[in-house]
Amino acid sequence: MRGVVGVRKREILLGNEAIARGVVEAGCEVASAYPGTPSSEILPAIARFADELGTKTAVEWAVNEKVAFEVAAAAAFAGKRSCAVMKQVGLNVAADALMSVAYFELAGGFLVVVADDPGPHSSQTEQDSRAFAHFAKIPCFDPATAEEARDMVAVAYDLSEKYHMPVMLRPTGRVDHARQDVELREIAAPERPARFTKDVRRWVCLPAHVRLNHPQLNAKNDAIREEFETSFDAFTYEVPAKEKAKLGIVASGVSFAIVSDLLAAWGRTDVALLKIGTPVPLPVRRVESFLARHEKVLLLEETYPVIEEQLRDRTKVLGRWNGAVPREGELLPEVIAGIVARALGEPLPEAVDPSLKAALEELQVKPRPPMLCPGCPHRASFFAIRKAVPNGIYPSDIGCYTLGVNQKMVDSVICMGASVTQPSGFHLAYRVDGKEQPIVATIGDSTFFHMGIPGLVNAVYNRHAFVLAILDNSITAMTGGQPNPAVGEKLRKGDPGRAVDIAGVVRGCGVSFVRTVEAYDIPTGIDVVKEAWEHARREKEPAVVLFRHPCMLLRCEQAKVPVRVDQEKCVGCRFCINFFNCPALRFDEEKKKAFVDDRFCVACGVCREVCPHGAIVPIREEE
Amino acid sequence: MQYVVVGLGGQGILFSSKVLGHIALGRGMHVLGSEVHGMAQRGGSVVSHFKVGNYLSPLVRSGDADILLAFDQNEAFRNLQFLKKGGQAVLNVHAPEALDNAHLRRFCDSRNLRLCAIPGYDILREHMGGRFLFLNVLILGAMCGAGVSDIPMEQMRHAVAELSPEKFREANCRVLELGYGHFTA
Repeated sequence: MRGVVGVRKREILLGNEAIARGVVEAGCEVASAYPGTPSSEILPAIARFADELGTKTAVEWAVNEKVAFEVAAAAAFAGKRSCAVMKQVGLNVAADALMSVAYFELAGGFLVVVADDPGPHSSQTEQDSRAFAHFAKIPCFDPATAEEARDMVAVAYDLSEKYHMPVMLRPTGRVDHARQDVELREIAAPERPARFTKDVRRWVCLPAHVRLNHPQLNAKNDAIREEFETSFDAFTYEVPAKEKAKLGIVASGVSFAIVSDLLAAWGRTDVALLKIGTPVPLPVRRVESFLARHEKVLLLEETYPVIEEQLRDRTKVLGRWNGAVPREGELLPEVIAGIVARALGEPLPEAVDPSLKAALEELQVKPRPPMLCPGCPHRASFFAIRKAVPNGIYPSDIGCYTLGVNQKMVDSVICMGASVTQPSGFHLAYRVDGKEQPIVATIGDSTFFHMGIPGLVNAVYNRHAFVLAILDNSITAMTGGQPNPAVGEKLRKGDPGRAVDIAGVVRGCGVSFVRTVEAYDIPTGIDVVKEAWEHARREKEPAVVLFRHPCMLLRCEQAKVPVRVDQEKCVGCRFCINFFNCPALRFDEEKKKAFVDDRFCVACGVCREVCPHGAIVPIREEE
Repeated sequence: MQYVVVGLGGQGILFSSKVLGHIALGRGMHVLGSEVHGMAQRGGSVVSHFKVGNYLSPLVRSGDADILLAFDQNEAFRNLQFLKKGGQAVLNVHAPEALDNAHLRRFCDSRNLRLCAIPGYDILREHMGGRFLFLNVLILGAMCGAGVSDIPMEQMRHAVAELSPEKFREANCRVLELGYGHFTA
């Protein structure tokens, strides 16, 4: 079927699957990614569609986003169509490579898919990757829907090959996690043979070459901007008002979809739209022409004013510069409804009903924050660490275990891998004052491989005393359970990988104290962490404890130990609620006692160790 | 038709939109929805949107939803503002006395909302040995039983059977009937 464009049935796909479908349809042959919400489902779907469509596409989880980016970039050096996938903060990790590769004259098409997370729902920033594309001087597509995202992929590859440069597709979470019916197509692009043509001028980023390449990059940007001005009408177009327009709206990404549905629901025919699917480099003349034809123009884009700031004259624009559009947070339908009503000078849609508000207050209904799952081994590890080193500073990292904040066991988090470097900073800060401060940092297995290793080498080399607890649950859990180097399985079943032993890596970094404990075994965990801290302070070096137990999401068979709270013994101190924080341990405000909620309990039995009064007891057979 | 499905992470709410989507596509309709993945999934409040018809945006605006399916009563109350006037909700209740709250009743009456409560946990304790992962099909059955949607039960039976993994098929079909029977028996 290669080289043939065909049409197949419609199928309901997740936005990320639609993007993956586009990647495979476009003939991508090397795809690499590091999981991160909201991008995680793209890579597994690339593997699935590649298998279904019979391509040989290499699909791999990389150790981090920089690695993913560089792997995919070099495949494009060799002439292949390739793809790197990550979330927005992952691009920060890959930024060094991105900035450099932007100057290159690539051989094959290179698509960088970066999923943004306005809200944010599952991230440490609300950054806008379109601004990163602008910074790197690479073109960026901003899809409004899942189907459009799929369509943009093929066009992005063509553009990448025409200008021999990386091209970004920037979906937001609402596109990634939209589920809609999408028309499936067959593979359109022919295979490209791997052929790396040696050319130092082209592939080695020496300053002398950069001086020649930078003007070339600028010229590419001018040419692409001109193309966006005059073509690409499938993604950047006007929807004129049926009558004289009272308001013009420029909208990009999912904001366009939301405002379109809103105008349809309101039955408005006096608002004109300009949809921008190609925000970088911005087709400025298109926007200026739209501005010239309308008295007032509202500008809706997520999350930074990327279109807005590329405009030369913003006096007519209602946007972020004058507070018409909020500068932070997700542009949800309710938010957009308010902004549009205000721009039209019309009454705002109703706010939350006072009786509903009163009901929620009386019934004490609050949003439930995310918590570690019942039976999660991290909860037990955190509990043991607190018991062992109660006066510690507890830096942590990005992953499920950030939710250890509910157990007061996460004091600081910056970004992936910073749990290993923050202890060094804390250690030095106290050391220069001549003081000793206990520090126990926590990091997950996947995050350790991602960016934890350089910090550990640094701490060994510089002799920083702290304990690093590696919470090894044999999975990348938060993002949906991807395998990682500690596991050894690759993305495709039957694609042989090799497990990398964490303890071996830690020893290789020069750590002499490395101990492994079963995470559910709280008493042993306490002893080993105590011992580790003693070693660290005595020897002036980091000590590492590996807490191991599989993630509950893996649903491994384990002994069931049903428990109950002995209502006689429970004194209502809430210790278990505050420091163990299991969804299944709840507090009865009337009886002033804790109880086990069978709706959530998975009978892991770990909480038996937790109650200082011994009130959490196993349910015996006869009960 | 616009649905909002709410619950707590881990309750399996994504399966219900999958079933609704399958049915709509079978009827030749366009479907569009929005799901929650990642950190928010870990036991916290989860809202999933689902629209059938010609829409561009996957999100349902507050006050526009025809149907609210709630796997947890507190999440139901927190999200009632999604329902349009005359909208209907199916909610799994664990403490049904909350439904008697005067403010809540005033709100529902003023907007002509119909709340169909089902004691899902009790039913699953009694019939399924407390395997609460079956809440999703229970609620789908209840939706048909209470006449909340225009989907005939026969179509629902078919879709659930088709989409269930082999090892859960029989149990899923059984629980679907339990939900249906709660309102029709």
